[in-house]
Amino acid sequence: MSSTGKIVIPIVIALALSVIVLGAAFIGRAWFTLPFPILGLGEPPVQPIAFPHSSHVDVGGVDCVFCHRNVTSGQAATVPSVEQCMFCHKVIGQQAQQLDGISGDSGLLAVIGWDSKTLQATQPINWERVHRLPDHVQFNHEAHITYFTDPAYATSDRPAFDQPSQVCSTCHGDVATMPAVKQVRDLKMQDCVDCHRDNGAPTDCTTCHH
Amino acid sequence: MDLSRRRFLQLSGLSALGAVVFNGCDIPEVELQVQSALDIPEDTVAGGELWYATLVSQGGAPEGVIVRVMEGRAKKVEGNPDYPMNRGKHSARSEAALQMLYHPDRIDSPSHRGTVAAWSESIQAIGVAAANGKTLVITDPLRGQLGKVMSRFVSAVGADHAQFEPVSRVVLKNSLNQAFGQERIPHFDIKNAKCVLSIGADWLGTWVSPVSHSVEYGEFRNGGHNGDERGYLIHAESRFSTTSASADRWIPIKPGTEGLLALGIAHVIVEKGLALGDVNKAFVGGAASLVGFTPRAVADGTGLSEYLGNDPDRAVHMIEDAAVKFATSSPAIALGGDSAGAHTNGAFNLAAAYALNQLVGSVGVSGGVQFNPSVPLDVPQSAVGDSLEKWKQIIADMNSGTYSAVIIRGVDPVYGLPDYLGFKEALQKVGQVIVFTSVPNDTSKEAAWVLPEQTQLEMWGDDVPDPAPGYQAMGLQQPVVRPFKDARSFGDVILEVASKTGLAGDWAADMQSVIKSAAREIHSLNRGSVTAASFDDFWVGILQRGGWWDTGATGSDGTQGGTPLDVSAYSTPDYLGGGEFHLIPFRSVALWEGQNADLPWLQAAPDPTSSAVWQTWVEISRNDAGRLDISEGDVLELINNENNQRIEVIAYPMPAIPDGSLGVPMGQGHSSGSGRYAQDRGANVLNVLSDLQEKSTNAHAWAGTKVTLRKTGKKTRMVKLEGEAATDQLEEWPVVLVTNH
Repeated sequence: MSSTGKIVIPIVIALALSVIVLGAAFIGRAWFTLPFPILGLGEPPVQPIAFPHSSHVDVGGVDCVFCHRNVTSGQAATVPSVEQCMFCHKVIGQQAQQLDGISGDSGLLAVIGWDSKTLQATQPINWERVHRLPDHVQFNHEAHITYFTDPAYATSDRPAFDQPSQVCSTCHGDVATMPAVKQVRDLKMQDCVDCHRDNGAPTDCTTCHH
Repeated sequence: MDLSRRRFLQLSGLSALGAVVFNGCDIPEVELQVQSALDIPEDTVAGGELWYATLVSQGGAPEGVIVRVMEGRAKKVEGNPDYPMNRGKHSARSEAALQMLYHPDRIDSPSHRGTVAAWSESIQAIGVAAANGKTLVITDPLRGQLGKVMSRFVSAVGADHAQFEPVSRVVLKNSLNQAFGQERIPHFDIKNAKCVLSIGADWLGTWVSPVSHSVEYGEFRNGGHNGDERGYLIHAESRFSTTSASADRWIPIKPGTEGLLALGIAHVIVEKGLALGDVNKAFVGGAASLVGFTPRAVADGTGLSEYLGNDPDRAVHMIEDAAVKFATSSPAIALGGDSAGAHTNGAFNLAAAYALNQLVGSVGVSGGVQFNPSVPLDVPQSAVGDSLEKWKQIIADMNSGTYSAVIIRGVDPVYGLPDYLGFKEALQKVGQVIVFTSVPNDTSKEAAWVLPEQTQLEMWGDDVPDPAPGYQAMGLQQPVVRPFKDARSFGDVILEVASKTGLAGDWAADMQSVIKSAAREIHSLNRGSVTAASFDDFWVGILQRGGWWDTGATGSDGTQGGTPLDVSAYSTPDYLGGGEFHLIPFRSVALWEGQNADLPWLQAAPDPTSSAVWQTWVEISRNDAGRLDISEGDVLELINNENNQRIEVIAYPMPAIPDGSLGVPMGQGHSSGSGRYAQDRGANVLNVLSDLQEKSTNAHAWAGTKVTLRKTGKKTRMVKLEGEAATDQLEEWPVVLVTNH
């Protein structure tokens, strides 16, 4: 301490405090919402195939339910089988390779081990998961889509959704325009509870934790 | 900073610990991935579940189940709520059908003397064997379409057909025929009864159809159709079984005296004027025939006085009390089976038990014994294993060269027949032995041809339940997954052999076609649980429901009547073995008669009485154990002095088995090479039994053996869920309480 009465904080302690404060802010933000978009956090994961939803949905006009077939009838939305990819890519992929630079270059055929003689895939695709809820949370896609598309959901200031695929963006964002899907809502418990409260859904613990 | 060596090591250790802890908290990589499977059928969605109704038989009556299938893999077995027998409930045995599907010892492909063979060669071998010389086909008791196919096949090739059960029900069938004039087992309307008197039959554990009985038992205890009046259960048995434990009144008696007890109860009912039915319909000579069977004589003859501390008054009171309760709680059911029929006088014992139904007017009424109608199909609707006498003859024929080939399916007679009969040695004298099985067993080791059979979740089949639920019913078995191995269903192979060898008559392409053809006959009836304008709709309907039944089609086929029991035919049981202790083998709730020993889920399923698993133990009374200085875990040798057979078992002193009796579970004791979970484990109690036959049916009197007990000096730990402390001895919570009333 100097004779003028000023408090002098040693630089080492100042640095340590700064690191602690920044660290706390970083952890706090990640704890309550999405992490700061630094160090690659918040970026879409690298997928084994550069699958652009924008090309398929926005340009190609493929409905969400066409590939995520279980989303309106079951708990999980589910990803399509390789065979289902090849329904289209047996034709489109071939064309694309000739057209240079579109989906044929995404590496689909290489990743699935496509045998051009038997026209069969030999390898599954291990996608990196984008959205993941903790094991103690039971989330049912079918229940949410049914609720939002039910005409009874509509009130004077909110219409019901016409199509199941319109409901998807409520939680997943505008996937149709994303070249690579990333998480846009934090999907933390507060997010869920707020949404349930706003939409008149039950907020009892056992609704999700059962 | 002064960094000492010690400080460095501390920091290094801390860092390593931190790395381990944080790595352990990390989410596994597989959790962060989601897989696009290669090829999924159009109607199968990844992550979506489908439930298929089918039948599973893992011991006891086949159970209607629904199987959860995801992405072509069966995941879970549940009871089929529609199926009229088990009505949504199922046993642990059915649950374990999944383990057979995924069993690591499943046989991949046909083999001939250890060399992989093609199915075409195997089918040719069966055809050649059947065409040249006499063939013997050994199967489990077959009902329904497979029974019919087999009957046609053996008739066409001139073969013999033997049906095997380690514990045959031939005595039961005989006694039911005597009492009611019925070939099929009747429906015991337990749900609507006010009192059940069971003699010997552990009907809540392992007798006939325990799951459907248990469903009815729950309703019986909750009043059934009798309002809120709780049903009353009286059970007489020499051992403390699941049913004994559930009973309001357990009457322990000496093995083989069950018929005597039934006559004593009849005597009291008649004497007190409580008979609601015709005594002459029950017993030849009516009331006069029962005069000698006084409660006092019966109390002494059955050993009840001795078991109750040499207190004959208490024993007499117990018999009288049971008789009055049974006769005054109308409707009431009397039933008998299992060990009561497994004596030289077994058929009489059971017939005496069933005669009590005539005495109290419970035949053909609600809450009583209801006869089952036949299903309008030309198929075997009832089948039991052959008698011991017939097996002796078969073994003699094999030894004399009568049979040039033996085809075995669905059974393991090398394990299930006592060693001293010499079945294994006789089998080695047969030129061609062909065994169908999913996993190796004691019999397949002796076979030249080992052919992999599909598991129950992979093949087509059907069943006409025996007993049925009181009305016409037929269950359907359908494949819920594609076969995992190069295995085939026995029925399909037999049909292919018949077609390729040009046997006379029309032979369907496969069992699916056979069953579909039968379904067309049912469809044409246009009644029952499923009706539809088109056959295709009907077929889908019965597959979804797991079968077809018609609750309106009740009653017998008009053959009931039966014959009154000639009481003068009563004889005391003969015992062989020359030992001090009555040996009471009992069917394991999980392993059954040994069929399920290769399934670890069932090996680990605790016995309801002792909670023991994975072993063979002997239930011995605490008095006998104390007298002989035996404690839990002592390895004992049970010796049959007459045939010098012996087995080693683990001592389990318990308070609830009568002195002088030893209870030993069936199911273990499979030899090396019988599958990794079954082999070299425990002992096969069937091997120590005496060569004793029931007098009228020649069935094996498997409960008539008396053995000597010897301590080996070895000790092991008994594996069981129950703790070390004898909880039944705690005064606050007595598990077993002997009372005077």
